[in-house]
Amino acid sequence: MSRFSRWLVEAVSRALEPDEQEAVSGDFVECGATGPQALRDVLGLVARRQLELWKNWRPWLTLCAMVVPLAILLSLVSRIIADGSSLYAWMYLNNWTWTYVTNAGARIDLIGYAAAVLLKFLALLCWSWTAGFMLGACSRRTAPVNVALFCLALVLAELLDAPRYLGHWLILPRPLGHTDSVHGGVYSVMFYSVVFPLIIQMFLVVLPSMWGVRNGLRLQTLRLPRPTILWACVLATVTALGTESSVWWQFRTWDLRPNPAPVPHLPSLLPVAFLGPVSYWVATSSYFKKRESKEI
Amino acid sequence: MLGEFEYLLLTAAVRLGEDAYGAAIRQEIEAATGRRCSIGALYTTLDRLETKGLVKTWMGDATPQRGGRAKRMVRVNAKGVQAAASFYNAIARVSHGVSWEAKRAGEP
Repeated sequence: MSRFSRWLVEAVSRALEPDEQEAVSGDFVECGATGPQALRDVLGLVARRQLELWKNWRPWLTLCAMVVPLAILLSLVSRIIADGSSLYAWMYLNNWTWTYVTNAGARIDLIGYAAAVLLKFLALLCWSWTAGFMLGACSRRTAPVNVALFCLALVLAELLDAPRYLGHWLILPRPLGHTDSVHGGVYSVMFYSVVFPLIIQMFLVVLPSMWGVRNGLRLQTLRLPRPTILWACVLATVTALGTESSVWWQFRTWDLRPNPAPVPHLPSLLPVAFLGPVSYWVATSSYFKKRESKEI
Repeated sequence: MLGEFEYLLLTAAVRLGEDAYGAAIRQEIEAATGRRCSIGALYTTLDRLETKGLVKTWMGDATPQRGGRAKRMVRVNAKGVQAAASFYNAIARVSHGVSWEAKRAGEP
């Protein structure tokens, strides 16, 4: 078996229980199985195990209540952030002049916009990580299928332009890029309408959520102190994600009144986005510190 | 009532005795049937038999010939032996007097 085949077989067999993974790997070594044979066998076993798991109602609940909504929410928010930041990117990168730096007022604007965009990027990264973390922690053995479906839902949402029609339905605070006639010049550039949102989705949604899934799966093996606090923070982060993409309910609530009052200035829930990853980092570092001190 | 593959697995495990584990059972079944036995079928059937209470499995010792990995050992318990015997008797009874049974009986 080549090194690549071995790596591939081991990667697939991670979907199995540790004991079974060891027994199966040992069987391959003993029988002298070739790479393709081993891969076919392990894929067959993983498929059978997954089919058994999906006979239960729990994975379906996770899929319907978590995987699909989170993928759509993240798709929506990543598109809002990509569209919003592409305006600044176009403004500064496509029309760069050193006046932005030399002029004091323009410099302050540049720093302010850059900080705001970076904060949004960081928040999106944290939301994605937290969504992946929840997915990993709740999916357990169905994680491989859930992760594949999560990625598929992200891709489909992007390909089917879900953010666009969901944006209309949800009455977002500002129209999304493609329908925005004021900023039509920016969105007529293919890079800003297609490539940039895909880059944002890949680096700030897909990769961080996979990282989160990994941490979520690892959670089962750790006995973290005060898991309730961690979960409260994770839920707060996911709620903030929902609120970020659904300002609609605030509008709807006010629109339903006989004499709609002006929309109140509601505080941003952006800082809450950081709660999930930060609480996990705090919990794991205190756990490992305690374990190290016990070992000493 | 057992299924065909369950019966094959139980029989192979009984034949191997103390040396019954995943890879050995697989080789035994392949040698007896002349067909390929997939690892997926083997381990899911083992689980099913264990759930039915017909076999007991546990992780054995790691051996160098397996790259230091442990075996999944199998032991057929009394209920498993009874189920296999019952399946065999049913097959023997239902096959009695049919052409292929007579042909097999005449084999050296």
